[in-house]
Amino acid sequence: MAPDDRDILDTLAQTAPAPPDVHWGRYRAELSEKLEARRARRAWWRRPVPVALSASLAGALLFFAVWGGYRNGTGTDFTALEETVLGGRLGLLQQYAVVERLDLLEELDVIRNLDRLAAGRQG
Amino acid sequence: MEPTDEVLCERVAGRDEAAFDLLVARYQERAYRLAWSILRNAEDARDLSQEAFVRLYEAAGSFGGRAKFSTWFYRILVNLCLDHRRKNRWWQRWARDERDDPSGESLLDRQPAPGADPADALGRERASSSLWAAVDRLAPRQRAAVILRVREELPTAEIATVLRCSEATVRVHLHRALAALRKTMEKS
Repeated sequence: MAPDDRDILDTLAQTAPAPPDVHWGRYRAELSEKLEARRARRAWWRRPVPVALSASLAGALLFFAVWGGYRNGTGTDFTALEETVLGGRLGLLQQYAVVERLDLLEELDVIRNLDRLAAGRQG
Repeated sequence: MEPTDEVLCERVAGRDEAAFDLLVARYQERAYRLAWSILRNAEDARDLSQEAFVRLYEAAGSFGGRAKFSTWFYRILVNLCLDHRRKNRWWQRWARDERDDPSGESLLDRQPAPGADPADALGRERASSSLWAAVDRLAPRQRAAVILRVREELPTAEIATVLRCSEATVRVHLHRALAALRKTMEKS
């Protein structure tokens, strides 16, 4: 460190201003109050919060378990049922054009009769 | 034989109230003085030095004994002060003149008188006032490094532990701070 720098530090050390006086009794009393307040706050956080959190978590798990089971067991979701059935017939759906033609063949007799009926009316 | 600070801190970790009281008694003046040197506000210094003791009480168990107790405690205190300054920077700059000064002088009063004789006592007082005013204007960590060196007479290694930086960084802080202070001295 340069001599100039040492001089500056020495000057600062010798002329350091003193802080305003403090009433140490009051200072200690305030400190005790703060410490007590912090202890109370920590105690509040330590005890009820974890208990409440655990209870809420357990409650939530129970609710979802019971409600989920209830919905799956007794609910009548027709869309879901239809999707399941259609899912089972996926192979059939892929050949939908053929199915349509087969349907037409099944109805061929009816279609022929319709033609006859139309001819009878004209005649 | 009086127990060392480190032994007392261990006892505080075991929630020994008497040990805590003894540590507070040993450090309250130093803590308040150091906080005031950084903050230049008596109320804040009182509040933050008390907060440092509360943190000490809560965190005594984490004092590993790798550093001296005083260094560990100063680290808590200085960090609190630097955080406080950071949070209140905008209005503290504006209210710089309003801070309490034991001399009761305004910033204008603290400026050196033109042509003052350095040998003159009044001149010296003005010079030192302007020097301390320049310390107030330093960047927070430079200022903390200077104060820890000047007021607490900490070596560079301990200042580095308190400020959580390397010794080289502390040297840089001190070098820059002293360069700024030298300029102030030259002007005055």
